[in-house]
Amino acid sequence: MSRLSRVYGAVALSLALLINGGQVKAQDSSAGADGGSAAATPASGGGGDAEKGKTLFTNNCAQCHSVTDEKVVGPGLKGIEDRAPSRDWLHKWIQNSSALIASGDAYANQVFNANGKVQMSSFPNLSNADIDGILAYIDQANKPAAPTGGGDGTTTPAPSGGGSGAASGPSELFTFVLVALLVVMLLVLGVLLVIVTILSKAVTPTAEGVQPKSSFGQRLKEGLSSTFNNPTLRSIIIWLFLFVAVKETLDGAYGIGIQQGYAPKQPIAYSHKLHAGQYKIDCNYCHTGAQKGKNATIPAANICMNCHGVIKKESPEIQKIYTAIEQNRPIEWIRVHNLPDLAYFNHAQHVNVGNVQCQTCHGEIEKMEVVEQRSSLTMGWCIDCHRRTEVNTKDNAYYDKLVALHKKESKEPLKVANIGGLECSKCHY
Amino acid sequence: MITKHKSVTTLAIVALLFTGVACKRGHDNPGLEFAPNMYESVGYEPYRQIKPNPINPTGLNMRLPARGTVARPNYHTTFGKGDSAKTDLMIYNIPADSISIAERVLVNPIPQTEQSLADGQLLYTRYCSHCHGATGQGDGPVGKEYKGVPNYTTDAYKSMNDGHIYHVITHGKGRMWPHGSQITPEDRWKIVQYVHKLQQG
Repeated sequence: MSRLSRVYGAVALSLALLINGGQVKAQDSSAGADGGSAAATPASGGGGDAEKGKTLFTNNCAQCHSVTDEKVVGPGLKGIEDRAPSRDWLHKWIQNSSALIASGDAYANQVFNANGKVQMSSFPNLSNADIDGILAYIDQANKPAAPTGGGDGTTTPAPSGGGSGAASGPSELFTFVLVALLVVMLLVLGVLLVIVTILSKAVTPTAEGVQPKSSFGQRLKEGLSSTFNNPTLRSIIIWLFLFVAVKETLDGAYGIGIQQGYAPKQPIAYSHKLHAGQYKIDCNYCHTGAQKGKNATIPAANICMNCHGVIKKESPEIQKIYTAIEQNRPIEWIRVHNLPDLAYFNHAQHVNVGNVQCQTCHGEIEKMEVVEQRSSLTMGWCIDCHRRTEVNTKDNAYYDKLVALHKKESKEPLKVANIGGLECSKCHY
Repeated sequence: MITKHKSVTTLAIVALLFTGVACKRGHDNPGLEFAPNMYESVGYEPYRQIKPNPINPTGLNMRLPARGTVARPNYHTTFGKGDSAKTDLMIYNIPADSISIAERVLVNPIPQTEQSLADGQLLYTRYCSHCHGATGQGDGPVGKEYKGVPNYTTDAYKSMNDGHIYHVITHGKGRMWPHGSQITPEDRWKIVQYVHKLQQG
């Protein structure tokens, strides 16, 4: 049965490969045919300067249009002159599309409606000759000799440096795992050795040719009890157990109230690694409160929509945001960093005034797939930082007198601890 | 003692070991707390809620502000000193579809200084550059994926005035979505200043 299914699997795999290959081939040939037909049409971009047109296209058009038939924001411009009513119409459309639509031109309205009624920017600065140049460039770019489809390259993600970094040398984790494995192996070997000794004693009679006095079961029992009664072995085991138990219990007791390492599964699998790491979106773009108030704020769905109104709309995770908006329900994110009510913490005070980086407390958020509480957030941890951190008093008149007073008493630079960073009532009231 | 009550000692040790191990928690578990009420607050907290709120209709602790409420930061509406002092609108009430009014009516109330331009650059880096690029060429890492992000220095964009840029930040335009909820009016005007600098290339 299993063999049969394996055969089926192999057949299915090869079939899939065949079909894929066929599709690729078909696409290639169709692309070739298209290129040929474009070449066959008479060059209609007469009179335009294609070189100048290329620069103009890159600066003005490339953001929304491609020269091929790929739709970017607006339609692809391949064969635009065959589609449009006339060159004069194109001049008018590019210079002021909304005026042409308002004038009731049938084709203008058709194009406008077919592209989701998104208004094209007006380019009154482009002269008729400029537009002719752009059209000549589009025509030239679609000839088979010219390289086309330059836009495709931009979407391929750059290879991440993570893989190469991990491969460059054994990491700390790797060494740790190796040592742990060795210890476990030694333990298993020891246990096996004990078992083998007991069993071999039970199986082979004590002396050659002498009839064994007891049965196999009895000998096994004897062997077992003698091992268990071995004081050295027993004390080793007991001390080992005791040590582990006491350590675990103490660790557990010290861990009460510390949520370090807490990384709950969120309702939407949002990745900071992708957004803040790969796409380099600033933390403040979404957490708009961090510079201004006590809370860094969790972004409302409208901030997600700033990008996801367009990008990856069909992804099941993004669809959860759409559902939340449609039903007017909040997305119930789970709070990770949660200080007890007895302590006051203000983001603006630290991030804006103190210029503390987000990563100082939150760890390398831009590398986290799931947000994890990296710092312990204990009082000792807060105080430790307040003792170490120097206050940036430069160009800030507020601190002038404090600095002068501090200099009289100490040669050390002004630390947070010196301006009340250790006072109880600063955080507990 | 150990030799006398071996079965009892063994049991006790195994039990201890298990309790110790049981304290290890998974990533989904915040662990034990001394005073849980301090973590799962009795009072209302904006970003943590354990059980649904019976008073508010949606079950949320947070409520929408009353209609027409103006957020506190918007009260900072006068800029500059003496005769050159300029007043900004307390509420930006030009409708989203009336960009031409904004172009005609609005002038940046914040006097341009080295500081305001530096602030503008910082804010631009925070709120704009991932799409519009550090130099405004529309080549930010998100912009490449998003597509249709313009280059500020090109003919169609380099002459756009204060009101136009302010209106686009507030209400969005074309593919760009509104950013008025994220950026205060004062910050928007500072960004406008920096965008003007980028328009010059």
